[in-house]
Amino acid sequence: MTGKIDAQSLSKTYVSARSGERVEALQNVSFSVAPHEFVSIVGPSGCGKSTLLALVAGFVAPTSGRVLADGAPITGPDPRRGVMFQDYALFPWRTVLGNVEFGPLARGATREAMRATAHRYIELVGLEGFEHRYPHELSGGMRQRCALARLLANEPEVWLMDEPLAAVDLQTRNILQDELLRLWGDGGDPGQRRAVLFVTHGIDEAVYLSDRVIVLGRRPGRIKETVTIDLPRPRKALRNSAEAGRYNEYIWNLIRDEAARAIVEESA
Amino acid sequence: MSDAAQVVLAPPPRAGVAGRRLTRVLEIVVALAVVVGLWQVTSITINNSTLLPSPARVFHAWLDLLHADLRQDVLASLAHLGIGYALGIATGLALAAISTRFALLESIVDPLIELLRPISAIAWIPIAILMFGISAGVPVFLIFYASLFPIFVNTVAGVKQVDAKLVHAAQMLGASRRMILTHVVMPAALPYVLAGARLSLGVAWMAMVAAELTGSDAGLGWRLFWYQEFFAMDKVMAVILTIGVLGYCFDTLLRALQARITRWSPDSVVDEAR
Ligand SMILES: Nc1ncnc2c1ncn2[C@@H]1O[C@H](COP(=O)(O)OP(=O)(O)O)[C@@H](O)[C@H]1O
Ligand SMILES: [Mg+2]
Repeated sequence: MTGKIDAQSLSKTYVSARSGERVEALQNVSFSVAPHEFVSIVGPSGCGKSTLLALVAGFVAPTSGRVLADGAPITGPDPRRGVMFQDYALFPWRTVLGNVEFGPLARGATREAMRATAHRYIELVGLEGFEHRYPHELSGGMRQRCALARLLANEPEVWLMDEPLAAVDLQTRNILQDELLRLWGDGGDPGQRRAVLFVTHGIDEAVYLSDRVIVLGRRPGRIKETVTIDLPRPRKALRNSAEAGRYNEYIWNLIRDEAARAIVEESA
Repeated sequence: MSDAAQVVLAPPPRAGVAGRRLTRVLEIVVALAVVVGLWQVTSITINNSTLLPSPARVFHAWLDLLHADLRQDVLASLAHLGIGYALGIATGLALAAISTRFALLESIVDPLIELLRPISAIAWIPIAILMFGISAGVPVFLIFYASLFPIFVNTVAGVKQVDAKLVHAAQMLGASRRMILTHVVMPAALPYVLAGARLSLGVAWMAMVAAELTGSDAGLGWRLFWYQEFFAMDKVMAVILTIGVLGYCFDTLLRALQARITRWSPDSVVDEAR
């Protein structure tokens, strides 16, 4: 039964250090991600998506329950599980090259190997020519590519991605979705693919990319339903297909009410 | 509407880096001209060169000083500053390092610093004179004391503001604790440390003059006291101007260094553009 990632009855309650106020971010969440599977998590904002990813990454400990990676409990961050953050978290004092080299450097690669790896992945994400730019000199789409190259350069077995495409414009997002699928191996041998846990609030994005979509409800965050996306790969031809549209509609119906409530609560 | 009003309302012309530099230099020149002009007028009105010598007299006094003791005084002051500032920065950084690293030590160091910080360095001059006699020890101690606080406070703030996300990013890339310290915490705190170093130099420079004035037997501040004893007001003013110009040069130098080292920061770009 062990997948690449197994989350078992995860709950997370944040307690504010100052007011003692408790926020139940996640309640009894269980799921697993198979070794070559692309799984998305969708849900309205504040439903605990980032928290869930942080638990799998090992940045925070659950209040109860546990997460296994390859059957072993997760005790902290591990370079085998690469993370792409919601706002990229690039090192602002390092150039594109420096950011991509960080992983190999941390893992003790030689100077030459580090440089070669970095250049390979910078080219792969289409950032050649921008190696010596600092993050603040890049557009949103380029930062996103840089964060992707940094993640890939460590060749992690699991990709954990927190709304990586949320901050770029629509056209760029569509292009990056296709590139992400290409890098993952959408058109190739399924055995070469990595396990992906992809957080998004875009339902169509989740449907387009994923093998399965986990739908979270909010307050407290718990799984409403897991939807298997039974569409063939490569997906490219299916972007605006009727089949994809039906999945979109189905998932939208699951979370429409809560999404509306989230808007009201957040503007209050 | 008059033409003049429209000129004022028009957006400033877009100038390149060279253009902006030129504007800046022009601004300084104009400001200096205004000050010197007012000074000239006032000194003519007062007509008492012991009380307020004219700019020309002070300039001549300064030329005389250049050929006499000024170089020696500057060197003595720089020696005081160099030793005191280096000690202050090193101690401030060390205290900041241990108090951000160990919570227990923070609870000891922090209240101590907060207690001492409001006490002006100058208040320690009597004690420093008792401890060191009239000697280089007094300015060195005061400079050390004055420069300790800004660098400490800024470094602690710099370490505390480090984005947890960047630490997480380094962790998930496989960085060790040591590497997180050297490759994340230190560079992230660097802009704060540099700003602290600049603030420290500013207060150190003021403490230096005050300490030399009363507790030293060499340096620019001491020379100020010396000429005052002789009622040589033109020379006093010449030394004061030297102190001002040197202090300004140091700050400019440090600011340039700051902008260069933190080139990666979006803020430093704004700073340079000013
Ligand atoms: N460090 C934290 N401390 C306290 N509350 C938190 C913390 N992180 C998240 N929360 C709360 O937990 C809930 C889920 O947050 P999050 O996981 O960021 O949701 P999402 O990513 O889906 O928007 C929210 O109500 C949020 O305010
Ligand atoms: Mg989030």
